[in-house]
Amino acid sequence: MNSRLRLALACLATAALVVPLGWLWWSSLMPDDYSVMDMGYTDLGGGPRPSAASGHGAGAHGGPSGEKPVDVATLVEDGTGQADVRLDLTAREEAFTPASGREVSGYTLNGASPGPTLRATQGDLVEVRLTNENIPEGITLHWHGIDVPNAMDGVAGVTQDSVLEGETFTYRFVAEQAGTYWYHSHQVSHEQVRRGLLGAVVVEPAAPGTGPARAATGTGPNSAGQIVDVEALVHLYDGQRTLNGQVGDVEVPAEPGTTVRVRVINTDNGPMTTWVSGADYRLLAVDGTDVNAPGPVSDQALVVTAGGRADLAVVVPEDGARVELAGNAVVLGPAGVDVRAEPAPTSFVDLLTYGEPASTGLDPAEADRHFDYVIGRRPGFHDGRPGLWWTINGHLWPDVPMYTVAAGDVVTMRIQNDSGEVHPMHLHGHHALVLSRDGEPATGSPWWVDSLNVRDGESYEIAFLADNPGVWMDHCHNLKHAAEGLVAHLMYAGYTTSFEAGGHARNEPE
Amino acid sequence: MGTAYKVFAWLVALGVVVQAASMVWAVAGLGIWVDKDGGVLDKAAFESEETLFPEVAGFMIHGMNGMIIIPALAVIFLIVSFFAKVPGGIAWAAYVLLAVVVQVALGIYGHEGAIWGMLHGINAMILFSLAVYAGLRVSSVERRPVAPAAEHEPV
Repeated sequence: MNSRLRLALACLATAALVVPLGWLWWSSLMPDDYSVMDMGYTDLGGGPRPSAASGHGAGAHGGPSGEKPVDVATLVEDGTGQADVRLDLTAREEAFTPASGREVSGYTLNGASPGPTLRATQGDLVEVRLTNENIPEGITLHWHGIDVPNAMDGVAGVTQDSVLEGETFTYRFVAEQAGTYWYHSHQVSHEQVRRGLLGAVVVEPAAPGTGPARAATGTGPNSAGQIVDVEALVHLYDGQRTLNGQVGDVEVPAEPGTTVRVRVINTDNGPMTTWVSGADYRLLAVDGTDVNAPGPVSDQALVVTAGGRADLAVVVPEDGARVELAGNAVVLGPAGVDVRAEPAPTSFVDLLTYGEPASTGLDPAEADRHFDYVIGRRPGFHDGRPGLWWTINGHLWPDVPMYTVAAGDVVTMRIQNDSGEVHPMHLHGHHALVLSRDGEPATGSPWWVDSLNVRDGESYEIAFLADNPGVWMDHCHNLKHAAEGLVAHLMYAGYTTSFEAGGHARNEPE
Repeated sequence: MGTAYKVFAWLVALGVVVQAASMVWAVAGLGIWVDKDGGVLDKAAFESEETLFPEVAGFMIHGMNGMIIIPALAVIFLIVSFFAKVPGGIAWAAYVLLAVVVQVALGIYGHEGAIWGMLHGINAMILFSLAVYAGLRVSSVERRPVAPAAEHEPV
């Protein structure tokens, strides 16, 4: 063959290989600063294109009044009154030692991780002043599961700028929902949550006598001697499994016959199996919403997904009981009781059928919009990095859907997982009702979630009321997956954000 | 360019050796950690990016090497083959790249069905053999007189 022709063919063949790869790489690069408003494509969910003035009226926290979009930074809690609950939190990067553990390098709030538990009563105006003492990347706090006004949601680059070294940011919101929640950073969250910027939130019901009275000490039986209420926040610090920041079991002294409410909070990146050794239990609440008519559960485990919460009620037997949590346990019973740990049951509580049906106030048949959130996986480039990346409806980040709604819409969404791995899907600012799984309708108690465990091969149908205007993240709470692009947003027509990823505050929400 | 061709063939083969070694190193470390130290591996630990046991690095090496380095080497190998004038060299480089694509796919599907993982192990042998053979044959085909080229000449 003519050597020149051969060389030309070789160059052509090389170009045929390199140019498409190079183009894919180049087109995946993200600018240093970008707005989520410019990301991906608008998905109207089969509904009409909402204009700023349309919709079913203004939402709970104000609404669009003119042509100009409303900046989400203005969506704050109404009123400037005195807060009922105030908490000052100072975040530091430092080494610390979990009780009974070894030293880790991470982040603390007021010198400890987990940070102090935020306690409020339903209806309280809560004010938290967050100060960043020395964390160069900046920080925020997100109130996981609490449907706060958008500007208080704590997502760096979407609802606020990250709080840089020496700065303070004040969060104010009304704790409208009683239940178990948690707070964590939403700046470089896949690093900051793992390394300790988190804490529990407990909101007691407003009406006295309707909820469990809480022991003043936090873990002992209360003076009336009936009900003990304890959080069980699970976190992995550098390979050390902890419960409320302690390596090993947590003993909760309680007399036999006492009902103990154990508020399980999974702050890790994977779903966790929990079960009770030595006693039956009832599942009182999921993700901060009470279960209707929860029946006794025996020989069944419960999956608490990443970011999810479950409130268990255990009546303490004579010999005590253990609530098993990822290698540790809450030990309930007379002081010093030794309870045998039982192996994990092989059958699981199915929330699709647990409890009794009740009115939900939401009619999915009247849905204004229907969205698909189909999770897949394929090779490609993510901001220039080659690899195997998550897709949403077949698209790689950042070419993901912007789910667009009008305030007041009833929305249904199908979350389907064809990606080979489990995904704990978390929608900010809203609670969604699970309608069905793999076509099987929910027949138990209304099952409201903010964090839903979607296993590989599963398809869930959920519904929610779009009643909290703003721009909300809808992402995988395996925070590594979020950083790998498993992030979309729910956007209300007529609203916009002036915050950017990147920018002077170096916002990096995932 | 014949030397470059040989080098990249060997590099792909070496990559496969690293893959096998890193995987068994990691699995052995995991076994020892669970057995001797009572380590608990669940989804949270799996996802934590933390050093549960030192050999966990083997999983990371396997992933990075298999998803990025070997595919890149195989693509460069094919590009080199265009210029190398090794008789039959392009075809063998293409076989190697094809085996890499199959290997990555089987690795991915191995997370969903273990049977694909088994095939991933078998295909590793095929890929290694292809790369070694592609490298070895360079000397023999280049040493041969221009006979193969003569086939294209009118007699």
